[in-house]
Amino acid sequence: MLKLAWRNIWRNKGRSAISIAAVMFCVIFAVVLRSFQIGVWENMTHEIVANNFGYLQLHQKGFWADQTLDNSLELASINEQMFLDHPEVKGLIPRIESFSLVSTGEGTKGTLVMGIDPKKELPGLQLDQFLMEGSTFAPDDKSVVVAEGLAKFFNLSVGDTLLFIGQGYHAASAYGRYPVVGIARMRNPELNKQLVLMPFKEAQFMYNCVGRATTLVVDLEEGADYKRVDQELLAAIDSSAIELLSWEQLFPEIIQTIEADMAGGQIFISILYVIISFVLLGTVIMMVAERQREFGILVSIGMRKSKLAVVTVVENLILTMGGALLGMAIVKPVQFYFKYNPIDLSGQMREAVEQFNFEPKLHTTTSFMINVNHGLIIFLIGSLVSLYAVWKIMTLNPVKSMRS
Amino acid sequence: MSKTVIEVRDLFKVYEGAVPVKAVNGVSLKITQGEFTALKGPSGCGKTTLLNMLGGLDYPTSGSILVGGKDITSLGENELIDFRLRNIGFVFQAYNLIPVLSATENVSFIMLLQNRPKEEREERARQLLQSVGLAGKEDKRPGQLSGGQQQRVAVARALASKPQFVLADEPTANLDSESTANLLDIMLKLNKEEGMTFVFATHDDRVINRARRVVAISDGKVVSDHNK
Repeated sequence: MLKLAWRNIWRNKGRSAISIAAVMFCVIFAVVLRSFQIGVWENMTHEIVANNFGYLQLHQKGFWADQTLDNSLELASINEQMFLDHPEVKGLIPRIESFSLVSTGEGTKGTLVMGIDPKKELPGLQLDQFLMEGSTFAPDDKSVVVAEGLAKFFNLSVGDTLLFIGQGYHAASAYGRYPVVGIARMRNPELNKQLVLMPFKEAQFMYNCVGRATTLVVDLEEGADYKRVDQELLAAIDSSAIELLSWEQLFPEIIQTIEADMAGGQIFISILYVIISFVLLGTVIMMVAERQREFGILVSIGMRKSKLAVVTVVENLILTMGGALLGMAIVKPVQFYFKYNPIDLSGQMREAVEQFNFEPKLHTTTSFMINVNHGLIIFLIGSLVSLYAVWKIMTLNPVKSMRS
Repeated sequence: MSKTVIEVRDLFKVYEGAVPVKAVNGVSLKITQGEFTALKGPSGCGKTTLLNMLGGLDYPTSGSILVGGKDITSLGENELIDFRLRNIGFVFQAYNLIPVLSATENVSFIMLLQNRPKEEREERARQLLQSVGLAGKEDKRPGQLSGGQQQRVAVARALASKPQFVLADEPTANLDSESTANLLDIMLKLNKEEGMTFVFATHDDRVINRARRVVAISDGKVVSDHNK
């Protein structure tokens, strides 16, 4: 039976090629579509999370729910070596994040103050990449870098001085006077309007929280499985005193946005699958019509319809599997190409994407699971539509079929 | 006395429609073992419909067809397919070979459906092809054979299952005179030497002239039945 099925495939090379091509293009289309959708989110997530906030953050228990300096973390209570001993952890990056009123003497504005060590920081806060003017600060400096929008608000230039007044740890006064050594363009428009960056040590001093940090970013090795690291570290830390949060817990709104977009994508891909189903059904209808007479002969000489149906389904499965495997393989270089050569967005789309601090480029994902999933789904659709052939065979009249 | 292979009793086939058509109109007939019978008549007289019902390819509206004493009109679809496989050989006007299989494979295909061992299939297919004059053409596919050669493969295929009888529907309609004569020689030889029963539906005088029994059909009825 397999021999007959195999030879039937080769007998009409044109029809077989059309069937394989139909499945192959369906797989390519579905995979490319989904790769772009998932790739864009993968890239955006990587950019926001990996470059700015980290996949994992360590805080004093309750800090993320109530982000005040009073909930900052005592650094001495953290066994840094325990984290560093983990093979996928590069280090811990301390940050102070708080608010302050800032004045130049002519104007005052509420600002977000971030104390960082640019040398240790994630790529998104390595200031030398974003500087428009001046320079960055060293860990022991007593100076600040101001975001471009805030600099414009105060009409600041490098060398001007800013006055700070706010509330520090345990209601202490937090004040200081710092020269501006640099002006940086932050890609997030909100941060660009209100961010002041200063050395971590100086921020500790100004906010009266020496020895403390609001956040410790767990810096992971490239390609680390953050979920596994999260689980392993959670088992090792004292969860009653500190909280280790993954990026999904830190930014649930990103997850919701991704899920909403994915749901929209699912609807779109479902419509695509309906179209694909009809394309594949068309090839099966063509095959059945072409071979009506042959089916009649086989049944008339004594081949059971069920046996004939099995042979036909096997043929169809071979063709569908061939098309699916070919599609899965051919689309792979396309995925890699657009992963490393993303499509540049332009116009309003570019502006909209940039507003959310995302890179205005369409990347693909190279995850092979997408190919496998969509190849499998289309293979299943191909298998299902071959039921049409089964139905036609099971209801055929051999005399009429032989006359066709 | 020869054994009755097929007995048709008061057979009717009516095609329903705005005007019902009686394609077979009360035929009763007996075919005995070793006969070489032609059902003759003009196109549309009902001979092919009768032949299809004899071969279990179509169900009658009423009446019965006994093959070896068994009424095949009462069999279910799968039983009828199995019955055809084991008891009836078919030769069709358009040869109806499986294009993807070689001559040997076409002949042995029926034996494959009968689950016979490979060695037996190959040996019998080779013998049958030799007996129809196709030695040396065993590996040719239908597309590589002439019309006469294809019809000889069809005869070999019809005999492969060791049927009780062979039904041939206009087997010479697409053949030239020489191929027709060759084919009939082969069939007559098989009829004489192996006692194989042949029933033809034909309006070809070349077949009718060599048949030993001629049943004339007109408007679905048997109008004459002569043994030569």
